[in-house]
Amino acid sequence: MSVLIECRGLTREYRKGGQVIRPLDGLDLAVPRGDFLALMGPSGSGKTTLLNLIAGIDSPTRGELIVDGADIGTLSRRRLAAWRARHVGYVFQLYNLVPVLTAYENVELPLLLHPLTRRQKHDRVVTALERVGIADRRGHFPSQLSGGQEQRVAIARAIVTDPAVIVADEPTGDLDKASARAVMELLRELNRESGKTVIMVTHDPKTTEYASRTLHLEEGRLAGGSAVGGVMA
Amino acid sequence: MRQLPFHYAFRNLGRSGVRLAASLIGSSLVVLLILASGGFIRGMQLTLAQDDGLHENVMILGTGSEEGVERSQIDSSVEGIVAASVPGIKRQGGVVYASPEIHAALPVREDGDGDEDRVAVMRGVRPVALLVHARVEIVEGRSPRAGRDELMVGELAAARLGLPEERLALGRTLHFDDRDWSIVGRFSAPNSVMNAEIWLPLTDLQIATNRAASLSCVVVTLGRGAGGATFADVDLFAKGRLDLEVTAIRERDYYASIAAFYGPIRVMIIVTAILVASGGILGGLNTMYAAFAARVREVGMLQALGFTRVAIVANLVEESVFASACGVLIGTLLGAALLDGVAVRSSMGAFALVVDAPVVLLGVAGGLVVGLVGALPPAVRCLRLPIAEALKSY
Repeated sequence: MSVLIECRGLTREYRKGGQVIRPLDGLDLAVPRGDFLALMGPSGSGKTTLLNLIAGIDSPTRGELIVDGADIGTLSRRRLAAWRARHVGYVFQLYNLVPVLTAYENVELPLLLHPLTRRQKHDRVVTALERVGIADRRGHFPSQLSGGQEQRVAIARAIVTDPAVIVADEPTGDLDKASARAVMELLRELNRESGKTVIMVTHDPKTTEYASRTLHLEEGRLAGGSAVGGVMA
Repeated sequence: MRQLPFHYAFRNLGRSGVRLAASLIGSSLVVLLILASGGFIRGMQLTLAQDDGLHENVMILGTGSEEGVERSQIDSSVEGIVAASVPGIKRQGGVVYASPEIHAALPVREDGDGDEDRVAVMRGVRPVALLVHARVEIVEGRSPRAGRDELMVGELAAARLGLPEERLALGRTLHFDDRDWSIVGRFSAPNSVMNAEIWLPLTDLQIATNRAASLSCVVVTLGRGAGGATFADVDLFAKGRLDLEVTAIRERDYYASIAAFYGPIRVMIIVTAILVASGGILGGLNTMYAAFAARVREVGMLQALGFTRVAIVANLVEESVFASACGVLIGTLLGAALLDGVAVRSSMGAFALVVDAPVVLLGVAGGLVVGLVGALPPAVRCLRLPIAEALKSY
């Protein structure tokens, strides 16, 4: 299985009040295509920072980050934005749906960045909404949906562009048990049936049961060393 | 660059009724203010322009009275002398376009006034004045006849006196010089100081002001074409006849000098308008800061999806400008309906606010600038946070 994501000596530093904070410190990691990786660790361990770097919404201070063949750490802000639009689907803990847009329009939003015809966009949105089982709510606004339904719409938005990788930041953190289970099953289906690579940050050990493997981070490093090729080294 | 859809900006307006109302009221008030101040300045400018582009009138008045014809006193023989001495003054059907006039500000009393006097700007004229002052047109009734204590009023004369229009209707009377004077006519002289005047026969006003042998001025219309007189001809006449103690001045220059006197007022009005418009912009900034600050996480999400900062700023500004545009529409309609033609009293008489195309354009531009400038800094600030931090904000 080919490697989709490769981190070499990945470091992210911030300056805060004269102090250097290093949420990620020389991390090495390889994620094969089609993997479902759960990232766990205490607060401040660097898991969300790693997720954001892989999603291209943050840039590393040092090290290499190759995603689907592109060294995204070297891309300009504008190129990185274009790269995100093509390669990444992001699922947020708080869904982040636009309240003034319907479920359909929310899912259509990322497609506005793609040169598709109106018909193609429509087909893709409908397919994505059907894929997450919420097509009958397409005309509803977020305020008219339950939390679980909102997260399904958010997942539809994440997959509508057919990205190589789906990143999910505590996707069940704001859901009740039943909705959380449904969302995790959906992510597993997307991983197993559609071959999507899923990287998920979670605090909930139960959700890791849906992942193909789980990595623990502590102080910006993988607990117990590095993980290359899916095997703890 | 891929843009966010316009309906996103449009629907965002509905997120807060209070904010939408503040934007609409703010921008429409700014527009109204610009229309009011612009209409005031424009009305004053047009009124004092005194140039219809067709006729060139020259005033012959007393030396040293160039700044106020009311103070001028010239011999009544000047009319005949100038008509005979300056060839090329306009003539038509045997009538020489030379209008002897008396200009006076007199206290008058209207029927319902009790003991209260009001100062009216009066002009004593002969019928030829209606030819010399081509923009004057009798719109109701007739010209007053000499010796009958009759007069006619300009369209804005009531505004000048601070009276409702019906109190200067035909058939009503004004009291001055211990007599009642009947209003027999009503004239219109658009965009002219004459529109706020009261006209009566020259001899009647000469008697009322005890100026039987004198005039305030003689206004002549220069002939056109090869045989027509030029201003230089009239000026040469005035300078050559030292015995008459007169000076010649183009009518438009006379009123331009009065307009210059009102320059500081114009500046004050413009400064006030700019200050209030700035207040509108600050209000807009405040509203937009609050509105956009509540959307930092959403803006972070849009960036995470791949929308560029420029596209997002453009959409936020679009939203603000759209709200302002609605306010501009309301303000413009209200302004055109409520302000255009409204009479304003001033020391020079009265004039009407003119809300014409240039003033409307200025108002529209001002209102849109409020929307644009009021949204840019909050939009840029909203995007200042790194995406990862924006996504964590509540």
